Order: sequence, then C-alpha cells, then structure tokens
Amino acid sequence: MQITINGRPVEAKPGQTIHQAAKAAGIYIPTLCYHEKVGAAGKCRVCVVEIEGMPALQTACSVEPREGMKIKTRTDRVLAAQKLVVDLLLSTGTHDCLACDQNGHCELQDVAYYLGMERGSFKYADVESVKDDSSEFVSVERSKCISCGRCVAACNNTVTNRVLDFKYRGHKAEIVFDDDKPMGESSCVQCGECAQICPVGALTDKLSKGKARRWDTEKVYSVCPYCGVGCKLELHVDRKKNEIVRITGAEGAPTNNGMLCVKGRYGYDFVGHPDRLTTPLIKENGKFREASWDEAITLVAGKLAEIKQKHGADALMGLCSAKVTNEENYTFQKFFRTAIGTNNIDHCARL
Amino acid sequence: MISAKVKSKIESLMTRYPRKESALMPALMLVQKEKKNNLSKADIEEVAKLVGVTDAKAFGVATFYTMYNVEKKVGAYHLQVDTNLPATLAGAKKILAHLEKKLGIKAGETTADGMFTLTEVECLASCGTCPVIQVNDTYYENLTVKKVDALIESLKKGEMPDNKTASHWGSTCKVLLKNRGVKDATKLAVYKKNGGYTALGKALTMAPEAIIAEVKESGLKGRGGAGFPTGTKWGFLPKNNTKPVYLVCNADEGEPGTYKDRQIMEYDPHLLIEGMAIAARALGSKLGFIYIRGEFDWIADILETAIEEAKKDGQLKEFDIIVHRGAGAYVCGEETALIESIEGKRGQPRMKPPFPAAQGLYACPTIVNNVETFASVPFIVEKGAAEFKKFGPAESAGFRIFGISGNVNKPGTYEYPMGVSFNELIEAAGGVDGKLKAAIVGGLSVAILTADELKDLKMDYASCAAKGTALGSAGIMVINDQWSIPELALRAMKFYAHESCGKCTPCKEGSKMTVRALQKIVSGQGTKEDLANVERLVGTIKGLTLCPVGEAFSVPIRAMVEKFRPEFEALIK
Amino acid sequence: MAGLAASFGSGAMTNDIAGLDKSDVALIIGSDTSECHPVLAARLKKAAVDGKVKIIVIDPKRIKMADFATIYACQRPGTDVAVLNGMMHLIIKNGWEDKKFIEERTEGYEALKEEVAKYTPEYVEKVSGVPAKTLEQIAELFGRAETAALYYAMGITQHTTGVDNVRSTANLQMLCGNMGKVGGGVNPLRGQSNVQGACDMGGLPNVFPAYQKIGDAAVQEKFEKFWGVKLSDKVGMTMTVAFDKAYNGEMKAFYIMGENPMVSDPDLHHAEEALKKLEFLVVQDIFLTETAQLAHVVLPATSPAEKEGTFSNTERRVQLLFKAVNAPGQAKHDWEIHQLIANKMGLNWNYTKAEEIFDEMRKCTPSYAGLTYKRLGFAGMHWPCPNEEHPGTPVLHIGKFTRGLGLFAAIPFKEPAEMPDKEYPLYFTTGRVLQQYHTGTMTRKTPGLNNLAGPHVMLSVEDAEAICVKNGDKVKVSTRRGSIVTGAFITKRCPKGTVFMPFHFAEAAANKLTINALDPIAKIPEYKVCACKIEKG
Repeated sequence: MQITINGRPVEAKPGQTIHQAAKAAGIYIPTLCYHEKVGAAGKCRVCVVEIEGMPALQTACSVEPREGMKIKTRTDRVLAAQKLVVDLLLSTGTHDCLACDQNGHCELQDVAYYLGMERGSFKYADVESVKDDSSEFVSVERSKCISCGRCVAACNNTVTNRVLDFKYRGHKAEIVFDDDKPMGESSCVQCGECAQICPVGALTDKLSKGKARRWDTEKVYSVCPYCGVGCKLELHVDRKKNEIVRITGAEGAPTNNGMLCVKGRYGYDFVGHPDRLTTPLIKENGKFREASWDEAITLVAGKLAEIKQKHGADALMGLCSAKVTNEENYTFQKFFRTAIGTNNIDHCARL
Repeated sequence: MISAKVKSKIESLMTRYPRKESALMPALMLVQKEKKNNLSKADIEEVAKLVGVTDAKAFGVATFYTMYNVEKKVGAYHLQVDTNLPATLAGAKKILAHLEKKLGIKAGETTADGMFTLTEVECLASCGTCPVIQVNDTYYENLTVKKVDALIESLKKGEMPDNKTASHWGSTCKVLLKNRGVKDATKLAVYKKNGGYTALGKALTMAPEAIIAEVKESGLKGRGGAGFPTGTKWGFLPKNNTKPVYLVCNADEGEPGTYKDRQIMEYDPHLLIEGMAIAARALGSKLGFIYIRGEFDWIADILETAIEEAKKDGQLKEFDIIVHRGAGAYVCGEETALIESIEGKRGQPRMKPPFPAAQGLYACPTIVNNVETFASVPFIVEKGAAEFKKFGPAESAGFRIFGISGNVNKPGTYEYPMGVSFNELIEAAGGVDGKLKAAIVGGLSVAILTADELKDLKMDYASCAAKGTALGSAGIMVINDQWSIPELALRAMKFYAHESCGKCTPCKEGSKMTVRALQKIVSGQGTKEDLANVERLVGTIKGLTLCPVGEAFSVPIRAMVEKFRPEFEALIK
Repeated sequence: MAGLAASFGSGAMTNDIAGLDKSDVALIIGSDTSECHPVLAARLKKAAVDGKVKIIVIDPKRIKMADFATIYACQRPGTDVAVLNGMMHLIIKNGWEDKKFIEERTEGYEALKEEVAKYTPEYVEKVSGVPAKTLEQIAELFGRAETAALYYAMGITQHTTGVDNVRSTANLQMLCGNMGKVGGGVNPLRGQSNVQGACDMGGLPNVFPAYQKIGDAAVQEKFEKFWGVKLSDKVGMTMTVAFDKAYNGEMKAFYIMGENPMVSDPDLHHAEEALKKLEFLVVQDIFLTETAQLAHVVLPATSPAEKEGTFSNTERRVQLLFKAVNAPGQAKHDWEIHQLIANKMGLNWNYTKAEEIFDEMRKCTPSYAGLTYKRLGFAGMHWPCPNEEHPGTPVLHIGKFTRGLGLFAAIPFKEPAEMPDKEYPLYFTTGRVLQQYHTGTMTRKTPGLNNLAGPHVMLSVEDAEAICVKNGDKVKVSTRRGSIVTGAFITKRCPKGTVFMPFHFAEAAANKLTINALDPIAKIPEYKVCACKIEKG
C-alpha cells in the first residue's frame, strides 16, 4: 500500500509497522525499546510520529499503516516529545560516553545525536553510578539502564532462561535477577543475550572492556566451534592487533537467531592464547624441539612411507576431526585413502 | 516455610482461576498474613515455586504493589495515614504530625518495641470520612486528634477498637443508594424484598442482543471516569468468537476524591452482582471478576458472601464471579493494567490495540466496566431506556453518585440526576466550610476550577467540558481559601509519581522530575527555570505516555499553574 | 549413526531446527539439552512456555529441561530399550500406532510387535524404575500426539547397547508415523561443531564421502577414477579397535588431527599405553594437548577463526566460516599440511584455497553436489542437495525412506556391561556441563569459564549424606579402573544411587574411571554406565 512519510510516497507492506516501512525506505525514526526480536513494547515513546487525522502522537513501532496514511516524523511537536524523552533519560542516568563500552553502538547516543542533545537539562536528580560486577562475563551498570525491557523480554521469551524481570515501580522500577540477587549469584547462565540486545551501556560484555572500539573492529561471520547446533557467529576483529575483541550471535540466522551460549559467546580466549602451537615440533630424547616445516614434513612423509612399506598400509591409522572443516576432513581422508592406501580412518564422533 | 493450611488454600486458588498464575497475588497476601504482615524473599521463592512462576516475576509482583511488605519489618500495628488531597483538606497532616510526635518516629519508621509502624499512604477512598488511618486491614475514619489518642491507647493494650463510623449521604433518585439506609441490605432476602433480581429475571427471558440494544439506547456512559458509552463498548466484542468471554468489574476505586463505588459494594452488593449477571447474559460470559482494591478487604468479604448467597439462590446459574483483590496500585484502575493484575502480573498497562474487547484477560475477549456502571444496568433493563433517560440531559443520561469531600460541612455521597448544579450539591453537603476558593469536580485528574468558574456549573459531561474540565468520576473536592495551590499541586504530583507504574519513560521519569521541580518551588528555592520545567513537562507529556494514567498529572497540574500562577510566582526567588 | 542407517538408510538427524516448534510433543531421552545444546534447548523451552509443544523428558538426572516438561521420568541408567519398548507396548495396546504408515512405509512390524508385547508397564517399572503410571501417561501423550519429535544425544548412544537404543527410537517414530514430516523425526543432536561434516566427508572406516560404501565395486571404481589412484576395498578399523591393536603392537603409526583421545577415550590408562607403543605418532592440533605430548611430531594448525571453509551442523545445514584473524606463527591450515605431506609422498595436489577443495568434493559427494559457496550465503543450506537448482532438504524421508521401506527391528532389552554390585554399589555416568566443551582444550583457555565450572562430581543428597559429605568437600570416586578425588556438587537433580561426572577435565579425567566396553556394531564405548563407589576424600 501507498503511504506518505514527510511528504514522500513510501510503499508499505501489510503487517509492517510504520517504523518498519520507514526503515525500508531509508527514513530514520528513532527507537530505544523496540527490537525486531522482542517486538514493540511502547515503553520509550521516542518513536512517536504525527499522523494526519489522529489527535494524539502515535508510536511508529506499533502502529500499522493504512492506505493513504500521511505521517510526519519531524514536526515541532514530535521533536519536542522526543527531546523530552531523551532529556529525561539523560538527566536521570550516568550517560557518560567516554569510558562506556557501548560508545559508537549506543542507541541512546544515536537518538541524542539525531536530536542535537548532549546533556540532560533537569538538574534535580543526584545520579550516582550503580554497578554490579558479580557476573563473570556481563557487567551491569544500573545507572545507565533506561528500562527499555528488551533484556527482560529476551531472557524470558527468546533464550527462555527466565532470570530477569522488573522490580518495584515508578521511577524506582528496575531490572531484577531472580529474587533480587547480584547477577553473578543468580540462576543466570550468562548466555549474554541481554548484553547483545541492550541498546545502551547497561549490560555489556566484560571481556571486551578496554579493547578496540566498535568503529575500529570488523565483523566476520563464522560458525561456533563448540556443539553441533552450528550457531552463526559474528567475530568482531581488531585488525591492527589481530585479535577477536567480541563475539555476537548473528541475528536472523536460522540456527540461532542471535542467541549463543556462554561458551560460544565468551569462550574465545583460546584463539589468541599464548599456548597456541606456532611451529612444528619434533621430539628428540623425550623432549620437543622447534623445527621448520620442511624438516617436519620430510620427517612425517618419510616415516609414514617407511612404515607403510615395512608393515603395510593397514598398520597406519588416521583420526580426522569434528573440529575442522569439511574441506579439511575431505583432504585428510583423501590423503589416507590415496597416499597411504588404507581405509583406517575414523573420528571421535562417538565420544 | 508456608504452613500446610495456607499451601492448600493456595492450591485451591490455583484451580479456581482459569490460569494458575492468577493465584500469585492472593497467594502472596495469604502468606504475608500468616507471616505477621511481612514477606521475606524466602517466602516469595516458595510461593513462586508453588504457583509456577519465576522467582524474578514473583519478586517483581511483590514489590510492585504497596501492600506487600517485602523484606521490611512492619510492626504489630501498621498505621497507614492517608494524606492525599481530600485527606489533606480534612486535616490529615495534623493527624500525621500528631502521631509522629506521640510515637516518637517519623513516617516510614517503626517504634523500637516493634509495636507500631507509621506510613504515609495514598488515597484510601475515604474522602468523605477523612482523616482516615488504616490499621493493618481496618479503616478508622472521621478521626480527630482526640480519637487518635484513644485509638493508640487501645492498640497499646492489644485491642483493635470498634471502627464503626457514620457518613453523610443523600439520594433524590433512589436507585443506586436506594437501599443505603435499609437494615441488612447486604442480605439477599432484604435485597429481593425491595425488588432485587427482578431485572435479572427479566433479562434471562430477553435475547442477548435485546439487552445490549436497551443499554445502548439508554445512553449509559461508563461511570469510572472516561465516560465511554457502555452499549458501544459491549458492541466491540468480536463476532463469531469461539473463546470464552470474560466480564470484569473495575472496583479498584482509587481516583482521589472518589468513594462512590464502595457505597454500592458495601451497602448494596447484590445490585452490582445483578448488574454483572445481566451483562453476562447479554455478552455470553460464563466467568466474571470483581477487581477490588486490596485495602477494601472487608468489602471484598461482603461481596464474596453475597455471591455465595446469590449462587445458592440460583441467581448465578450460568455465571460465576471471582473477587480478585488488588494489593495497592492506582494504575490498576486502568483496564489493561487491571487485566494484567488478574493474570498475576505487575499491574502495567498494555499497548492498545488490541483492546480488551478483542484480546483482554488471558488473551480472550473481555469487557471491563466500573461498579456504578454495572449497578445502573438493572434499572435500565427493568424500567427501560426511556425511564433512564428521564434523568439528566440527553447526552448525559441517568443518575450518578457524587462524592463530595474537602472543605464542606457535610462531606458525603449524594445521588442526583446528571446535570444537577454544583451549587445544589454543595448545599446538600451542608455548604462550604469557609470561603470557596476552587474545586476539582471529577476526581483529582481533571482541571481545577476557580470559585468564579464554579458559579453556574452543571454536573454533566458537556457542561464540565465547556468549562475546560471533565466530569470524570464525579468526585468533588472543595477547596477553601486557607489552602495554597502550589502546596496542593505538589501533594497531588507526589501521588502521581508514587503511582507511576514505571513502564514508559515520560511517566516514569517525568513524574519524578515534576515533583522535584515543584518541591523546589514550594520550599522557596525555586527559580523561573523550575516553573518553566514544570510547564514543559506537563505540556509535553499530554498524549505522550503509554496509557491515560501516565499523562493524568498533566491536566490538573497544568490547570493549577495556569489559574493560580501568581501563587507560584510568589514563591519564586 | 549405524542404528539409524539400518532403520532408515541414513544416519543423520532427520529434521530441522526451524520445524522444532511445529511438534505437538517432543520426547527428550538421553540428552541434557540445555547443558549440551543450549541454543537448541532455548527454542524447545520457548516452544514449551508458549504452549506450542509439550515436552516429555526421560533421563536419569532431573535435567533442567525437566522443569519445562509436562512429564518427567527418571530411568535407571542403561534401561532405555526397556522404556521405549514399554512405550511401544502401550501404544500398540491402545491402538495409537499409525497403521497406515506402518502398512505403506515400513517392514518388519510383526517382529517388533511380538517383541514389545513382553514389555508391560509393570515389567518396565521393575527393570527401569519408571513407575508404570508414568509410563502410561508418557505413552498416551506421545502416542496420541498428531506430530511428535524425538531428541537424543550421547545418553542414548554411549552404551554397549547404543545401536539397540537408537533402533528403538527409530521403531517408536515409525510406529507413530512421525517420520518424514515437519515437526517429527528422530533427531540425534550432534555434540561437536563439525562431527556431521566429518562423517559426511568420509571420515569413517567403511565409507567414502556421502556414505558411499567401501567395497562396493561401482563406488570403488568411481573414486579410483576420480582420484586417479588404486584404492583399498577393505573396510578400515574404527578408532576404538585401532587403540586395542596399537596396545598389542599390531598398529604402528597414528596420524591424529584435532582430537584429544587422551582425555576423551574410555579407560585412559589403556589409551595412553596404546599410544606409547606406537612407532610413530603425528598430532596436528592448535595446542600441545595431552595427546600431542605423546607425539613424535607435532604440526601446528589453524583454529576455526583463522580459516575459510564449511561446517555441517546437526540438522545437516552446511554453513560458511570466514577468516577473522591471522594464524599465530607458522601455523598452517589443516588442508595445507595434508597437501604438503601428500606431495612429499609423491602426489600432486594443487589446492590454493578451501573453495577449490569444496568444489572437488561436491563432484564425488552426491548429497553436496548442488551446494556452492555462493549458494550457502548467509543462512547455509541443508543436504541432500543433488544439484544447483535444488533448494536443499530440511526434512529427510518425506514420502520414502532413504533405504526404501523403514525397517523395524525387534530389540530385546540387555543390561549394561557392568552393573552395580556389593563392592561398587552406585551407577557412574559421565557427560558435559554447559560451561566446558569436550576435552577442554578450547574452553579451558577462558578463565571465566573455569571459574564457572571446574572439576566436580555430582551426587544425590542421599548418597552425599550417607558418606557425610557436604557441598564442596572432597570425594573419592572409584571404579574397577581407578580412582579420582574431586569436589562434591550435591544436587536434587541427581537421583539416589547415581553419580555423575563431567569428562572435560584432564586433571580429574572421568575417563580414568569409565569402562572400555563397546557396542558390538558401532564400537562406541559405554560412557554412560558403569559401577562405582564413593568415599569421603
């Protein structure tokens, strides 16, 4: 159907919201609580727009357009409303961007920038930083929380770990882990879904603190190296330092739709670990010494050929791996079947 | 550990509701009562396990509603002093100050011997019988300093004194307050003797569509405050619906200045039950709920007794009613918050659409109406729409209970036709105590009117709208010239901030900022910027919140500032 | 693998993850899903909470999934066949079986029917400990469901009766007509990222890529032509057999790529002795693992973050990996190393990137033939995918089983190899915990994961009380193979009489205690049951 946004004709599909239609047409309508995965919540009120014929402001995240609807996203009234919301949030939280891990990836920062705001104007609240660092992998900074509820929805309805909810009410309302436990003492399994979906710096990945900023990293798709579900990963790479600084789940991936478990998301230290093997090793007198590839390959090829000749190909066994790629398993079995000449190939699938 | 007795009560509650999670709130309350008015985290965890919800959810619910005392030591007697606007106008602050002095503690504290906890609370719907203190579950009304002394002395001896008290009332229509003076009117036999349940008898012979048509024709509008036409609302039920239809009575009377519904429920419960039973017939509902504010514990008991009586008498053959007690949350007067609360959740409003008529309680079609609305239905069905319309002007048909509080000589509830003049009502209430300065005529959340504006005011929808205010819940608070409007504005604003559900940003943070700005002004530290902040907040928040409760403070505070600006400016440096 | 292949003609998980919430009922047996496959578990939990799927859990431990289940039953370790036969007994007795499906799509039904006739609820209760009443509820919920899925993992396969267990799951799903439809299926959850792919690529002693049989003349000829060399037509050895032969000196050289049998193998002492007897051991890995330390030559490989290639997940979805970081030092891709050795031995391989290998592979791998890197794109694709126009196959066996008719098998219940007795009165069983993975070579490099889960033994409250042990106290766990002293984790999730130990930890390697008793067909060790005793440590 045809609608107009800011006077511009825009095509909207049935079932789409105004926000989705606008996004598809490249028109920015700020949002904070809305996230594709958890749906519209109507909480932050920052996505309000004016619709011709409707007296009240409407939330673009929830209203589905009708044929011919005329929508305005930047009227004085809309901007005043958005500015008030953002002003209230900036005034009541510790939204200091400099040391914030979310800098460059913060949706509140984006909205404030869009509205040309830097600081809150209400100087009534004494805002102190409230942190909970009890969890191994997730930092909680309650004073940065904007109560958007995404984490609560995701914890309960997406990963279904059911740890989070809201406690108290009014301006005292805030997220709670179980019956008011520090995150690290709660039943949280640290899947990190909450940190991935948090629009601000309230829930962040501890391992990424102080590492490369968002704009200095490159996102590379991969597949989780652990269990067989095959969760699609986004590796955030600092090219200069050649290190992975964060892992997120790929939203929309058919296997995991952004979800990961504690290993998949946080168990990547092994990649850049100092214990990694960096050169071939040859054992001499019960001890390993470093060797060149040339030397190692010559030794291995020679030794395998020698044993084959002496004892027959079936005296050799190859164990391929559930941890390497299809291509490498293919070359391995091809190597054994063609170069060695045996079908003694197996793997650890049973273990 | 929860006792086996309470456990089995909870288990039976879990089967009483269509979904067991709905038993969470009553379960928490049962446990709290067993644990001497306190609720520990361990108790909450146990209830959560029993009812089958997460610990976080149970904790979130327990800390949302004010009547649960989570991890705070409450004394043997919990003195809860209402200081909301009607109570303040009736001198509640003096009572509170007296108690603080007498007990040697501040509000929010407990005496060293663990005997008394003193708490300042929001409107207890005793507006005509203020000052009021709720001691544990019991209301003590019409208090004076002397009576408070006697109350404390008695409590110290471990005795809860008798709490009976008189209140003023009057009726020219004799419908909603018909049985008000009748002895034992809560009993079914008395109710029937005075013509009760004949309307239901008639309704059961009528086609459901005919009942809806009659109600539509009567022009009855919702008596809760919004004034939406009842028949039209009923017509919103989806056609060809296969899901159960739920009927919900909103008895969460919490709008400051409003205490009319309790007159019906406390003194004539069968009138409400009959009204609901007729509506159930019209709408095809098999199960109804009365969502009653938790503080009205004894009234809930009256309703439950009356429902049992009506069932035994065969009046509720195809319709059952569950009385669901709230636990202290003004926002649950909003229909979707109320529905969430019945579902055992935090009472936070939902986004609309979907509207409850399409997808309400347990995601089924649901009609929510106010007590007075349901109580008006038997008359319409029995006497016909035409008779109903004889009361009041055309667009504001019917009778209405006006609750009058504040600075009048005989505060009370008075049943008059719609369109009655403000002056006639004040006269019925014994006239103004002192010189009339202003009045708020539709419950706290409407625009204040000055003495001048009140002169020729008629109490109907159109006339109120013409004056820039609203008839709302018809709770009239009369203010004489000894009161400072900025102070009243601050007290009103504290109420809204206290009752914010915390779901949407403008209400959650905006109400708090508005309180802070007003506090600064009232304390004499304010600047022009603070007043500008107040005006910016109340001006922008209108229409910006998720629900009507969120923006409710916008209109009254804005009107106070606009109409009494010199008083505010006088406080500014 | 072997079990499903016999029943259906294919050993892979039959259904896809996306169809998981399309079931009415899901039976989880022998899978601690939320610990071992947490993200798939999340989807199942959500489906249960949303009221879409009713879950039945049958597991010796009261696993977390049981909290989301409509029915939970605790069976004694190693009695799965009895329980499954008992379900089928009741389903047939009540007429809930899918007669049309049995008639049209299966064979061997009469034998099954005869066998399960013996498995009355009372008998099953006696053998398995599952109350007759519970079994009846399970059979009814499962048997009457329009569509029911079955999920299992190593809890079904790591037994001397592993193949029997698997065939019983296949029996049940054919009996109820749950095969070849969305939301149904027999779904073995693969425990490692590319274990499916390793099998698909012919990393098995009896098949070439895509399960083309060794010894089949046409197949032999095809590969000889394709690879240009003469090939052995003799089925090779499985790893567990090879270890035995190494132990007694028949095997001379092992080339181990990316595996650490020194922690993962049963009866580790035996495994270590076997490897030490080898004349030559090459280990290719990213760390100097316990196994690599025994090697004569260690070759440094790249980690998944450093390479391009594909993994095939548990639901047969082939997905792309891209290179994120450079490999450390001189580490090389596994395929590069293979190529270097192959060429040194006189072959002439010329691969320059992974995609070239993939393109060669798909020419001889019919189920992958239609896949290209380009087509795999963001979401990946399900094999079988025979040509480049084919959309991939999320659900196997629609309309027809890979082998034609589905084959029922009459499976009698057999006790595990080693049962508790006077000296070793408790069941000992092993598995994984959420925070660690396999032999720990990767996860144990992240300190936070170690803080969350270190070595421990899970005990029931009753068994802990009997030896006066509190949470965290040292406990000595012994079997006929050896003893381990580690900290106690006392939990209501463990039933009385069963001791559980995760196998990730080399310093408290559960596999020092497990029994090296194999399934006669699949050669899989019985990690899930043996007898143990516990003492205060």
